[in-house]
Order: sequence, then C-alpha cells, then structure tokens
Amino acid sequence: MISRAGATRIGLRIVAAVPALLGVILFAFIMMRVLPGDPAVYFASGPNAGQAEIDALRHKMGLDQSMPLQFLHYLEGLVRGDLGNSLVTGQTVTQDMRERLPASLELTLTALMFSLVISLPLGVLAAWWAGSMWDQWVRAFCSLCFCVPPFVSGILLVYLFYYMFGLAPDPTGRINIFTPLPHRVTGMLLIDFALAGDWAGWRQAAEQLILPATTMALFVIAPLTRMTRAAMLSVVNSDFIRTARAMGLPTWRIVIVYSLRNALMPVLTTIGIVFSTMMGANVLVEKIFSWPGVASYALDALVASDYAAVQGFILLMAFLFVMVNLVIDLLLSVLDPRVTVE
Amino acid sequence: MTQVIDRRSVLAALSLLAAGGPVTLAASAARARVGRTTMRHVTGGSINTLDPTMLGSTRESFGLSMSVYDRLMTFGRKPLADGMWTFDPETLRGELAERCEVSDDQCTITLHLRPDAVWHDGTPVTAEDIKWSLDRCVQGHSLAVPQFTSGSMTSPDQFRIVGEHMIQITLPKPDRLAVANLAMPYAIMINSRLARRYATHDDPWAQQWLQHNTAAGGAYRVDSFRPGINVSLTRNDAWKSTADGSRPFFEHVISQTVPEATARASLVERGDADIAIDLQAYDIIAMAMRKRVKISSIVQSNCFTHLAFDTQRAPFDNVLVRRAIAAALPYDDMFAACLFGRGQPLYGARWHDVAPDISFPQSLPLATDLPRARALMAEAGYPQGFETTFSYTTSQTTTAEPMAALVQEALGKIGIKVRIDKLPDATFNTMQAKRELPFYTDTGAGWIERTYYFFYLYFTRDQRWNFSNWRNMRMVSLIEKARFEIDEAAYEQDCRDMISLLIDQVPLVMLWQPKMDAVSSSDMEGFTYQYYRQVDFRTLSRA
Repeated sequence: MISRAGATRIGLRIVAAVPALLGVILFAFIMMRVLPGDPAVYFASGPNAGQAEIDALRHKMGLDQSMPLQFLHYLEGLVRGDLGNSLVTGQTVTQDMRERLPASLELTLTALMFSLVISLPLGVLAAWWAGSMWDQWVRAFCSLCFCVPPFVSGILLVYLFYYMFGLAPDPTGRINIFTPLPHRVTGMLLIDFALAGDWAGWRQAAEQLILPATTMALFVIAPLTRMTRAAMLSVVNSDFIRTARAMGLPTWRIVIVYSLRNALMPVLTTIGIVFSTMMGANVLVEKIFSWPGVASYALDALVASDYAAVQGFILLMAFLFVMVNLVIDLLLSVLDPRVTVE
Repeated sequence: MTQVIDRRSVLAALSLLAAGGPVTLAASAARARVGRTTMRHVTGGSINTLDPTMLGSTRESFGLSMSVYDRLMTFGRKPLADGMWTFDPETLRGELAERCEVSDDQCTITLHLRPDAVWHDGTPVTAEDIKWSLDRCVQGHSLAVPQFTSGSMTSPDQFRIVGEHMIQITLPKPDRLAVANLAMPYAIMINSRLARRYATHDDPWAQQWLQHNTAAGGAYRVDSFRPGINVSLTRNDAWKSTADGSRPFFEHVISQTVPEATARASLVERGDADIAIDLQAYDIIAMAMRKRVKISSIVQSNCFTHLAFDTQRAPFDNVLVRRAIAAALPYDDMFAACLFGRGQPLYGARWHDVAPDISFPQSLPLATDLPRARALMAEAGYPQGFETTFSYTTSQTTTAEPMAALVQEALGKIGIKVRIDKLPDATFNTMQAKRELPFYTDTGAGWIERTYYFFYLYFTRDQRWNFSNWRNMRMVSLIEKARFEIDEAAYEQDCRDMISLLIDQVPLVMLWQPKMDAVSSSDMEGFTYQYYRQVDFRTLSRA
C-alpha cells in the first residue's frame, strides 16, 4: 500500500511539520509568561512562606533567568525528551503525559467509535430517505444532542445511571480502585487487560468507559451525522448510482459499497477534526468522571500557572493534530487512489 | 429522485441501525463495596508530594503526611456536641516524643523519645534520626524553614543529642511558639538511615526522593501513590503514638481525587465513599434534608474570612475611609447570603475598645451604621465617594460572588463605586503578593491558634500574609514584646492591646469563620476538625 516513494513522502510530511511545532512551542512559551500569574507565588503559598521561599522556588524553576535563556533551556530539555517538571503533580511532565495520554486516547477513541456507529447509519438513513419523516427525526435527534452541553449530559447520565438506578459504576476514573492494574503495555486499559487475559478486569474497565464515552459521543453525533448525510446526498443523486439502480443491483450494495465509500471522504476529514477537538476539549467530561486524562491535567495546570505542564500539553496536542491529519490523509489515499500524500 | 421503500432496503437499513444501535448499558452493579475496616476518602484537591515540606506542596499533602509521618509533638483534641471533635490548641502532647520538659527560663526544651518506637521498616527510632530530621527543618529549601523561624529555631547547632533517647533544643530567647512548632505538619520525623541512602551532593536532605517515597513511622504506610489521582494506605500496627496507645480503626484508607463536587456528593450519599469535606454548600443543604448521610459541621476556629484594604495606598491609607467602610457593610445580609448562616460571625460584638478575653479570632464590635459611615466619608475628604475595585478568586466564587454584590450595593450608598473583578487563583495570588489589589476578600487560617501568632502572621512584616500590607509601628513593637514575654499577665495585656489597635485602625474587616462540613456515611464516628483543615484518618472509626 505504501511504496518506498510513499514512505519518503510521509517522512517529508513529518519534517515539514517541524517549523509549525516550533512555532507552537514558542507561542505556548511566551503565552504562559505573558499571562498574569506567577507559579512561584502560587506554590510557595503555605502559611509563613514569604519572599525568600518564592525566590527559592523561582530559582529552582529557572524563572530568575532572562526569557530567551529560559527558552533555550526549555528547547535543550525538549531535545532530550524532557518537558520540564510539573508543580501540580510534582512529577516530570513527560511522566505525567505518559500516564495520562493513554487514558484520554482510550476515552476519545471509544467515544469516536460510539458516535460513528450511531451517526453513520443515521446519516445514511437520512440521506437515502431525504425529506422523509425519518430525515426529520434524525435532524431533531442531532439538534437535541448538539444543544445539550457535555457537562449537562454528563451530570445527567451520572445522576440517572449511577445515582438513581445504580446501573453504572461510580464515576471515579478508569477502574475500580480495588482492582489490580494489568501489566502496562499500551497504557490503554482495554488493550492491556485483553493482553493480560484478565477479562473480569476488562469488563470493569469497559463499564467505567461507557458513561464518559457516551457523554462525549453525544456531542459529536450531530456534526458527523450531518456530514454523512450531506456527502451521501450528493453521491446518491449522481449518475453512477442511477446506473447501478437501473442495472438492478441490490440496494444494500448500492448504499454500502458504491455510495458510502464515495461519501466517506468528507466524513473522514470531519472525523479527523472532531477527534482533535475532542482530545483537547473533553476537559469537562474528564472532570465529571474524574478521568485522569490530559485535558483536566492541563486545566489544573493553567489555573495554577504551571508553565511546563501547560506548554507540554499544547505541544502534545499540536503533535497529535499533525499525526492525526497524516493518518487521515493516508486513509483518504486508500479510499480514493486519486488522492496521494503530498 | 424518489426512493422505493421495499422489503430489502428496510432490512438493510435496520441491520445498519442494529449494528450501531444505542449502546446498551451493560454495566453491572457489581461494585466493590467498601469493606468495614476500609475507608474511602474523596477530595477535590490533589496530593502532589509525600513530603509536606516541599515548596509547592498542596494542603491535601499536609493532611496525608499527618497520617504517614509522626512529629515529636501533637495537639490534643476536645469533644464538641453530637460526637464531633475539634483540635485543642491549648494541649500539646508528645507523639514520637514521650514527654517534653521546658526549663524554667523557657530556653531549653528536652524531649524524651518513646523507647520502643520503630520506623515502618522495623528499625528503631534513634536520637540521630531525630537530630537529622530537625536539622532538615532548618536547612535547605523547604517550607519548614520559615515555619521553624517562628519558633526561634534557625540553626542545627540548636539541636543536641543528650542521651540514647533524648534530644535537647536550645533557644536564644524564650520563644512561646517553639514547642507548638514541633507539632506542625512540616515538622516530620524521618528515618534518616533510609533517607540518607538517597541523598546526593546536590540534594543532601533527599528531598527529591522523599517526594515520591516515604521514610516514616506514622500511623499509616503508603501502599501506592499516584500524584493527583489517588493514594492508598495500610495501617501500621506497630504505631503507638496515640494518647491512649490504641490503634486507628481503619486498616486501609484510600484517598482519591474526584474533581467534580457533585460527583463527590453522589459518591458519599450512595455509600461508595465514606467521607468528603469539600462539598458545595447547596449540595450539603440538600443532603441534610434527605438525611442519608451524616453531616458534621464544625466551626473552623483558626480561620477568618475578611475584607482587606491596601493600607499603603490612597484612599485606603486613610483610616477614616476604612472605618467608614466597616460601618457601611451589611454584615448580617452577607453572612446569610454567603454562608447560609453556617459559621461563626466575627462581627457584632457588644464590647467597646477593650476585648473581654484575649482569644483570637473573636467577634469584634463591628456593626452596620450608615449615618456614621457617611459622616466618616465626609470627614475623610470624600463626601462624593470614589471608585475602587473589589477582587476575589474563582475558587471562592460560591461565597464571594454574593458577597461582592452586597458590598457593591452597600458601598454605593456612601458614594463608593465598586467594580467587581473575579480573578483566576494564580493571577489573584500574584497580584496579592505584588500588592496590586486595592480591596479584596480572602480567608486566612493560622496553624497555631495563639493570639500573638495571628497578629505576627497576618498584621506585620512585608510578606504576602500581611493581607492589608499594614505597617503599624505600635503593632510591631507589641508583637516583638509579646513573642518573648514570660509573664502571662503582661502577655495578656499585649494581646488585648493588639486587638484594640486592630479595632481602632481597621486594616481589614473581619467577617466570619466558616464551618467545615464533613459529609460521611452515617456510621462514621470521631470526625475531628484539625487546624490544617484536612481529614485526620487516625481519629475516625465506624460504629
């Protein structure tokens, strides 16, 4: 599928992203220092801590140096894979990200899967019978999902399924606190439990995932459904579909093989955007479900002016964005050979 | 284009739907219920270090360290109504020390260690360990260093080993807070033989290693620590430092960060968590009506919520303006709107000029008197009033928002136009430290509930906790005198003078002491309000 030339092109794409990433690094660095809020003052705030402690902390963090020098030190660390230390957790940012990114990825990917299995059929349905009652119902459903913000739907789901009916496990993170964790391979619990063959643990992790993933999925059902519908509409009205119908091909074949495949291009692009947005914007869901992910981590860090942690988060998001776009472009070239990764 | 709905297309559509139909909530209610001797504590804050002296450690870290590390001394506790307890600032008893003797000139403190005390790894506690731990509190960059200066302990030379289980502390002057400082969360006693193995040239006190590891001997051992997520503890059965030598009730304690307050409330109410102390006031009121949980409400006797002025800048450098504002505030309305009356007012006392006793914080003679406020404004040279900004932090929104509205309305009546400024915590703290806030609300909590200490900490010196940046020479000399005063009557007179001076000069307006509401499962007993405002796991038990 990927030829040697293709691999070279992918390599070039990644190299081409470096200036953009550098820009992001510089922007995040300056932004954190321009915003009011001094981490040293925030953290040296125990009773009796005075100016001496603030200065000591500032020195420890290197904040007593000039800005360009601080930036050089930061870059130097980045080259070694050192994102600096977080004051909120007292660990290195790299370690925090390593622990938390899989949690966010697992949640986002599950939510994306949930929303796709709902929105693709709905979009196809709405396009096939465009203008029908079905179409109206789908539209109403999408509007409803879109207008309820995640923190409302999240709290509502917790209230109903945990508090009222006791069907869902308590909303306290990825796994029941008494369950031993599997040997860490990917950091994604579903995969690690499966690899370890611990299906009771897998089931627990899956149960913990259902509510937060549903909350996140609800919010992105609307854009995905509408995009599927629009793309499908233009395809089902085209000549080759009419020909297929005239030739008497079975409807399922027309819908799935000929229409959907051709309609997937814009949908896939939307998926890429939705995924990147979800990763950064799921902070409310992570907060409600005590999900130890990167977004809630970044919010806490921002409130505390924890420079290194926020910068690390922004950099990670930018990197993910680049990677997701690359993957989407690769997938597009699989779907449509006319598209190549340039 | 028209579509023909036939049997096949309907089936196809249905199968598509079924493939991705609504995800059924298969979650079983198989919830590992908390066992009888296991306690699950949920908190909105996060524990970021196991060493409370680390620069930047959170309040939750202080709370945890009380159960993990022993100090030489500890404050006792006293019962309140309904089976609740609060710490007793007047009683200091030995924790790792068996007893403590203070010489007649109050300059020498001799501590006798428990001869049978052992660390978590089973090795005996030695005088060398204690000496190393005390030295650590006065050297290096940690929060313990400034705390220990408030007890006149600044140099390792002051700590001497005088016997197999005896340590002597010498003070340059009879400092009244020296012994109390040994009970502070920062004064942890460390297994020095273990910690030293991880000390390096750059880090002689093993501060790096102790952030994520322990070398302790307290009531609980740390089983696992995931910063910002959870900590799990197991009881140390060899621990004998309670007043009566008994062991804590709970064998296992889990302290978990649950950021969403509503989620914490649901967890406790459904019985999946045992205790939480940081819930929203409206949740607590609703829970009190449903009566499924136990709510222990205890006044935070070492706290005060206040309005602070920047006393070094116009117009608040004018004492008449400060008095006018103090006379214009609608205290009762503020108390009702912000705390729903759940607290202890620090206004509305009936005495004048001289306080009836020297306790502090205590209710002060502050009352609403609009005509007087207007007269004071005119006398101050502001008959038309002025404009100012009132600030508070986002984390205090629930109480500060109604307060700000009431302050704005009340001061409008005497011509002061108030602009309200809600700031993120880090921004607020920075501006507070840099003296850029003219007028704001905040809450202070002094760890040592002694009148002198409160005035020393909150009303003198150029440092952040001098909320109103007050520089009053009379106050400074009173404090310097009171600190080393051996004669109790003279000390009491100094404290009375400090309170009178505060009332006369109004550098800040004391408002109230909020209550701490501990919401727990109904069988939980022994909740104790501690001066560090965290759950003390050691005191809790199940009925």
